[in-house]
Amino acid sequence: MSTPIIEASAITKTFPGRRGGQPFHALRNVSSKLFEGEILGLVGESGSGKTTLSRIMIGIETATTGEVSFQGRPVQSRADWKALRRDVQYVFQDPFTALCPTMRIGAALAEPLAIHRLCPASERPERVARMLEMIGLGPEMARRLPAQLSGGQRQRVSLARALMLEPRVLICDEIVSGLDVSVQAQVLALLVELQRKLGLSLIFISHDLRVIRYLCDRVQVMLLGQIVEEGPAAQVFDAPENDYTRALLAAIPDRDRLPVSESA
Amino acid sequence: MTTPLLTVQDLAVSFPGQSGPVRAVDGASFELNPGGRLVIAGESGSGKSLLCRSLLGIQPETATVSGKLEWKGQSLVSLSRDQWRPLRGASIAMIFQDPTAALNPLLSVGRQIIDAIRAHRRCPRDEARARAVEVLGMAGLPDPEHRLTNYPSELSGGMRQRVAIALALSAGPELIIADEATTNLDVSIQAQIVKLLRRLRLDLEVALIFVTHDLDLAAEVGGDLMVMYAGQPVEMGDVQAVLADPCHPYTRGLLRSAPTLRTTREVPLQPIPGQAPKPGSVGAGAPFRDRCPVAVEGVCALQRPGWSQAAPGHRVACHRFEKDGRAGLP
Amino acid sequence: MTVTALASPERGGTGGRPGLFRRNEIGPALVAGAVIFCLILVAVLAAPLIAPADPNLPDLMAVRKPPSAANWFGTDAVGRDLLSRILWGGQVSFLVAGVGMVGSICLGTLMGMLRGFGPGWLHPIVDRIIDIQLAFPYVLLGIAITSVVRPSVPVLILLMVLAGWAAVARVVRAIALQERAKDYVKAAEIIGASRLRIAAFHVFPSVWPSLMVLAAMQMAAMIVFEATLSFLGMGVQPPTASWGGIMLDGKNYITTSWWLTLLPGIAIMMTSLSLVLIGDGLEARAERLRSREADK
Repeated sequence: MSTPIIEASAITKTFPGRRGGQPFHALRNVSSKLFEGEILGLVGESGSGKTTLSRIMIGIETATTGEVSFQGRPVQSRADWKALRRDVQYVFQDPFTALCPTMRIGAALAEPLAIHRLCPASERPERVARMLEMIGLGPEMARRLPAQLSGGQRQRVSLARALMLEPRVLICDEIVSGLDVSVQAQVLALLVELQRKLGLSLIFISHDLRVIRYLCDRVQVMLLGQIVEEGPAAQVFDAPENDYTRALLAAIPDRDRLPVSESA
Repeated sequence: MTTPLLTVQDLAVSFPGQSGPVRAVDGASFELNPGGRLVIAGESGSGKSLLCRSLLGIQPETATVSGKLEWKGQSLVSLSRDQWRPLRGASIAMIFQDPTAALNPLLSVGRQIIDAIRAHRRCPRDEARARAVEVLGMAGLPDPEHRLTNYPSELSGGMRQRVAIALALSAGPELIIADEATTNLDVSIQAQIVKLLRRLRLDLEVALIFVTHDLDLAAEVGGDLMVMYAGQPVEMGDVQAVLADPCHPYTRGLLRSAPTLRTTREVPLQPIPGQAPKPGSVGAGAPFRDRCPVAVEGVCALQRPGWSQAAPGHRVACHRFEKDGRAGLP
Repeated sequence: MTVTALASPERGGTGGRPGLFRRNEIGPALVAGAVIFCLILVAVLAAPLIAPADPNLPDLMAVRKPPSAANWFGTDAVGRDLLSRILWGGQVSFLVAGVGMVGSICLGTLMGMLRGFGPGWLHPIVDRIIDIQLAFPYVLLGIAITSVVRPSVPVLILLMVLAGWAAVARVVRAIALQERAKDYVKAAEIIGASRLRIAAFHVFPSVWPSLMVLAAMQMAAMIVFEATLSFLGMGVQPPTASWGGIMLDGKNYITTSWWLTLLPGIAIMMTSLSLVLIGDGLEARAERLRSREADK
């Protein structure tokens, strides 16, 4: 079997209890692997630890125990994390807080290029315009401020910003949760297209099993800081083995399910 | 024939704008019988929340409500604050999306419910307390007696929403309006709350208006469905009938945008292109015309579609449907 | 249907541009404050041109003359024209308060940002320094310093900065900590931005509106503080007199020659009042912009 591109092994995360309370175990001995070119879904309800796990994998949260490896090598030093972040990028859930409120879209998209000196300053506007086109926004957006954009547009810009560095892996934390259904479909379609075009590997985190089913090749179901079931999406959704997975699937509203009898 | 509980006809909610009033809700019409069910579905900006608020007279102060709005034959359109008070809570109760905002964080759960009960009915504290325990039990809170002393911050999101439901039930309303009441909850909690609302409707014979952006959830709630777009209702009918045979291009687009447990990316979703219009910018034409793949040229831009019958009890407001029937739909 | 003529909801059609001075965003308090302050500032700056007499030229023939057509504000105990003294004295007051304000804003911003984005070991040190500064009795410090060195403009400015920076640092620290927890700061970290870059390009623009409010409030406080020190005899030494110094000169005649203390007092009050109005107006504006941001 090939080496995973990014791997979290035996991750535990414990938050100290507040005011002498019990410490909170956000993650208990969780492992996760992402292989080249696949879309991995992390699904679970609030408090399952899926966001914490993803944040540990990009280094904005540190694991209590366990380690993250990138291309087979453990990530330890600051320099290691820096190298990881050249190839792994992250998109946040809330499009309203993930963009700096005082920075224009063009500047926000050009910033990664400036930081990593990827191209001469004179070429930056050109690359920003190309990226805006790729995510389906007009070039005039570059002059706008985040407050002038809709939620869906902001989420596209966040996605674009993460893609400016041409990463190989994208971690998406609930990126369509706050969006309307028709806009959510637009962002999902964009994500599928980008994944194909750029050969991205994706970790896609969501509480919505319908979105996970649509997008993912492989799924890990999380509950209270543990992975309770994992496998290819078709298997997990069509023949779930774990009781919790089954309950979760049953709770999803479904227009095609037979109407519940009124006397229930 | 029973008198309807709530009659809404051509209801509009408008805000003053720079060039005349801006209608954020326009042309809403429906009837709700005692114990009936109505699901209002729409995306953000569709005016569904504002419509609900206007049913309870809690729209923003700058808004003007016009049209017909009657509660058991009595017009509600120009009631004063004092005239609204006996209706709110006692006859019509509302559950909001965010239970944290609906509860006072500094008062215990029991205190808030007891206060609400006594605000509508003069009764001794003991009696109100017993009633509070009863409604908490009805809302499905385990061990209601003990919950009285809890503060909202000590409860989980799902529990808090149950407390909000208990609060809504406290004065024995005849209509409960649930405005995206399950949106912020985990799916398993959402399923429980929907089940609870369904059971309460049957047990207590309260009518229910359920607002959601999720058509699948609408199907779970059942009853009548009103799909709204840009402040206007575009399709109405029994939930099952509408979802089995959607006749408005927007409803169809919405269903094709929403993944189900069986859709995978092998069969791509078909997003509705473009963005929802700003409230009030729709003007005279069909509200969905700019994003509609089958807009009728020269008609949709100018004229607002009237209702056409798709099936008994199933109406749709669409020029294309009126012209070509189902054959013309995308 | 009826259209009520209630105030339209405040929505700039094109969305919230958080620019500082945008039309139709400026309330009446801000306008009133700015007009009064500008009038006083222009008059003080133009003292060499408009002052009717030499502020330091005694005229023993016209001692303690009440306000009249010849001397609008009257004359003082040695017959100097009070209006001229107030105009010229304003230059000292404005110099000390203005430079002191800028200095305290700069130092306070630096310390506040250091607490938010500097290395971790610095955090408790910065916190303690701010605490100590806030607890310090500055009038006593002023007395102590001025009893050792002869009070001069630079010494007073130094005192102003010392007295003012901690309040600024506290506000900047609070904003920095609040912004630091937001996703956009983490997002910047993930694309590789250094802390200095995050602090300067991402967070500082969010601090800026509050700094403007603080600047106005600090300036008002410093005008009063400088006047207090001068009145206590620890200001710039005669014959150059600031407003506090002029009041000190008139103190002995307060029962007989009211104008000697009242008129410079009014100058101090109007200046600080106008600045407080500006500060309040800016704060209300920032609040409006913030709440509109939150609406979306």
